[in-house]
Amino acid sequence: MAGFSSWFRLPRRFHPEMAQVFSMWKPHRWLAELQNVWADTRSIVIIAQIAAIYAAILIPFKAGVPIIPGFVELRPANAIPIVASLLFGPPAAWGAAIGNVIGDCFGTLGPASFFGFWGNFFFGYVPYRLWGRMGWLSSGTSPVVGSFRQGLEYALICVVASATCAGIIGLGVEWLGLLPFAVLAPAIFLNNIVMGIFLGPPLLKFLYPRVKRWGLGFVEIQSVAHERMPGGSGGLNPSLSVPAGHPDGGERESHLPLVECSGLSFQYAGGSVPVLKDVTFSIYPGEVVLLMGRSGTGKSTVSYACNGIVPHLVPGRLSGVVRIAGRPTVNDPVWLQAGRVGMVFQDFDAQLVATTVEGEIRHPLEYRPLSQVGVDLLGSIQRVLRRVGLEVSLDRDPITLSGGQRQRLVLASVLAQSPSVLVLDEPGSDLDPQGSSRLRDVVLALREEGMAVLWTAQHHDEMAYADRIVVLDDGRMAWTGKPEELLRQPRMMRDLGLRPLPLTECFEGIGVDPLPISVEEAWVRADRMQVVLDPPPSVMNDEVRLGKPYSPTSEQGPPIIQMAQVCFDYENHPVFGNLCLDVGSGEFLAVVGANGSGKSTLSRLLNGLLLPMAGRVLIDGLNTRETPINTLATHVGLVFQNPDHQIFAETVWEEVAFSARNIGIGESEIDDRVRDALAAVGMSYEQYRDLDPFSLRKGERQRIAVASVLATRPGVLIFDEPTTGLDVVETRRMLEMIRRLNQAGHTVVMITHSMRLVAEYATRCVLMNAGCIVGDGHPREVFSNPSLLASAALDVPDVSRFSQRWGVTLLSIDEVRASFSPNGMCPESK
Amino acid sequence: MNFSLYVPRQTWIHGLDGRTKFLSAVGLSLMALGFSHPLYLSGVLGLVLMGMMASGVQANIRKMWVLTALLFCYSVALWPFFVKGKTPIPWLGVLGVTQEGVIVGLAMGMRLLILIWVGVWLLSTMTIESLSVTLQQLGLPGRVGFAFSLAFRWVAILLGAGVGVVHAQRSRGLDVETGGIVSRIRKYLPLVVPLMGHALRQTNLLAMALESKGFHPLAERQVLSPARLRLSDYLVIGTIGCLVGVVWWLRRQGLGVLEIHF
Repeated sequence: MAGFSSWFRLPRRFHPEMAQVFSMWKPHRWLAELQNVWADTRSIVIIAQIAAIYAAILIPFKAGVPIIPGFVELRPANAIPIVASLLFGPPAAWGAAIGNVIGDCFGTLGPASFFGFWGNFFFGYVPYRLWGRMGWLSSGTSPVVGSFRQGLEYALICVVASATCAGIIGLGVEWLGLLPFAVLAPAIFLNNIVMGIFLGPPLLKFLYPRVKRWGLGFVEIQSVAHERMPGGSGGLNPSLSVPAGHPDGGERESHLPLVECSGLSFQYAGGSVPVLKDVTFSIYPGEVVLLMGRSGTGKSTVSYACNGIVPHLVPGRLSGVVRIAGRPTVNDPVWLQAGRVGMVFQDFDAQLVATTVEGEIRHPLEYRPLSQVGVDLLGSIQRVLRRVGLEVSLDRDPITLSGGQRQRLVLASVLAQSPSVLVLDEPGSDLDPQGSSRLRDVVLALREEGMAVLWTAQHHDEMAYADRIVVLDDGRMAWTGKPEELLRQPRMMRDLGLRPLPLTECFEGIGVDPLPISVEEAWVRADRMQVVLDPPPSVMNDEVRLGKPYSPTSEQGPPIIQMAQVCFDYENHPVFGNLCLDVGSGEFLAVVGANGSGKSTLSRLLNGLLLPMAGRVLIDGLNTRETPINTLATHVGLVFQNPDHQIFAETVWEEVAFSARNIGIGESEIDDRVRDALAAVGMSYEQYRDLDPFSLRKGERQRIAVASVLATRPGVLIFDEPTTGLDVVETRRMLEMIRRLNQAGHTVVMITHSMRLVAEYATRCVLMNAGCIVGDGHPREVFSNPSLLASAALDVPDVSRFSQRWGVTLLSIDEVRASFSPNGMCPESK
Repeated sequence: MNFSLYVPRQTWIHGLDGRTKFLSAVGLSLMALGFSHPLYLSGVLGLVLMGMMASGVQANIRKMWVLTALLFCYSVALWPFFVKGKTPIPWLGVLGVTQEGVIVGLAMGMRLLILIWVGVWLLSTMTIESLSVTLQQLGLPGRVGFAFSLAFRWVAILLGAGVGVVHAQRSRGLDVETGGIVSRIRKYLPLVVPLMGHALRQTNLLAMALESKGFHPLAERQVLSPARLRLSDYLVIGTIGCLVGVVWWLRRQGLGVLEIHF
């Protein structure tokens, strides 16, 4: 009572603020709010993500300052509940609570986890509940700390939240008799407050604008969730409903299409122009339709419309209709259509939900009526795994499978629901040739079973297997027909933003009709025209054209990269036994091999991220074992496959300057370095310097990553799968940029499994298989040994295979065209 | 990257229903909480160790011995300073440490070991999915259980991405090992921001992916393995239940309980 009466002794002017604080005391509303987040998929995703982020950062990242050694240490993760709370609201409370339990599941799960759950729940809830509601102290603005008043508000909230968390856990753990409150609670409080104060504000500064832009704030998510609720103002409202063209269910005639896309137009909410314009096509049972087009032309939007993601989960203005088995997709929510349309996303890892193979298949079955699942659940699971050719233990963790196996597991989980239509969104973009080939076999088998398949793609690899192709350009249907009709028109393909078959391009403009679309056809055409390949000396003299691969006896001076008798293993799993490799200055080296052959490990050994267990790696004469990594960064730069693993800064300028700052470059010089680096990757300094790198396209983000590496001016550049996920145009731009950098004097090491890129760009090719170098030389030399490539699960590019009939190995279209004989066949310039 | 403690074995304990294992873990924990005397707690500790041996999961104890040893030592070392007693220890008397305090410290250390090892035993004998299903069978709302197993799945994915982030930033010269404490904390920004950004920009995709596979919070979900409790399950639950009853009866009789004064 004494505490309560003391409020009345406060200066009079404080009373309205206090009244405001108390007027907000509405626990029933708070409880409803906390409960409602469990009714929306996106909120549940955010809860699970925060929990996963909290646990994932909790485990490996320690600031190295123990409060109670081995028990309570300063960990960056302790800033996450506060930051998440101010970004996402109530889902953060549940996420922090579950995340803490997950952390306990790595070894300390027990009765104390109950108090850990509630302590972290309040740690993640109090900041949201207090921000902006602290009377006169509240700034009434966003939680980005930019002023003293905001800082004070933030600090007070940190104190209250940390004390609440520490109090609950400390009391609980003492009640269990495990540790005294006086020891544990201050330690937890100190940990939370230090991380909250020092790491929280900068994290909010970086993340808040992005979360707002992605529409993930609590208010935005709740408003969309409300729209989607039955009776809400959008989503499944009756106005979207379209009469069914055919009765749903029952026997359908096989000549009727399973997918009917009729006059489909769509404009994203907030978009200025429609992304789809009057798209019309059908897919019949037992038909594979390939949907092609350049990046951003609407392929994914069409595939999303096939199961109602557009417009139910992706809001926007829709006209036209997509019918699946006669039933319009706008009539049912997405989750109810899973039994009709199975969808595999480009990022298939996003569809993994379980920690065992069995759980992955079981999960979708749990949403099917028991009558459809059948009594023999295990038999059903094994049958669907056999259907996709996946023979692995049911207990196996999906994350331990290869990329191709994971994708087929996702496909199996989709097929478990017995859909009649399968939608594959760019399924081959992240797979090696072997994985793509297995997927193709499975899809062709499904076609034989009568399934209708819509397959979106950018490259021509799958064209030969499709029954029909639909090409989109600028959101419109630009072409439709049989694959071979399109493949035989390379000029039209280029106009549509597609890459023609290189072999077809070889014959373009020399009077061959129809143009060949396979190696066998090309040989027949060549025979008919009595053509032989007779490469002039200028084509075959690689040492003159491309430069000589490094050899110890050459006059190129010492190698810039020396790997001598390198041994390396991951947790007793040997990767390299005795690897030796020298790379000369100025070389363009491509390292190829199947997944798991050791390519990426090699790249990380070259810049000191991994150290050899035996042998040595010298870069520019520096032993990676003895040289600090930030010194090595001035000699060797590694560009990773995924640029999003490094981008964090608010502006492109800051991002590119980051590495230069880390190696101690003075502020006066940094701007010049940023300018030079951006110029080297073909980006305008003035245009890009103030942009948020997160808002750029993937190709641009990839170039920012390269620029950031270039800012340290390293002599050696390593690119790890630089074209993954890029479309034809961006791939070409990226490779041309790498070639320019090589010509400017950088030694380039490119990890790839695209043999076409190796043939066109590299001056030397190292072929890896199971941690050993099995081939090393000019790409021409390596490609001239098809059995060697086959042993490493790689194929010879068609252009080279075509030319090998004449005893030569040609690498590019230009080389083939320059080698056509008899003289007088003069290809038209394209 | 797999951090799960689950050890796949074909033992009779592994074959028990998830509810049996969970209730057994609760029962063993209640036994540990019922006693506060080291002698009696050693009996419970023996029972837990027998359970671990019978499950063939003792390797997980070896894996975690540093953490458990540290926690045990903290408990033994710290409690004597907070517990009052009548028999001061000659050399530590000035600090208020008594024999009773040391015995309490030892008991609480043993209790801590039991509770941790019971958790390890549970997680070693059932997968996260089984735990999630079990909790739902015992009344946890399905959506919460699903979020739990989903988060567990993503931890492994994020840890993999985390390695990529650390490699990417280290190769750009970031060194989090040097500098003062504040500077070191700030250096975590380039690690935490890309990891959070990577996860959050997938939110919409993940929601789409889940609903595409038939998930919705309001959709009816059936547990497809409505495993019935077998005789062995009833026997184990009954035995553990009886033991818990005995422990708490002994406690009421004043046995196995130390008088603790703070």
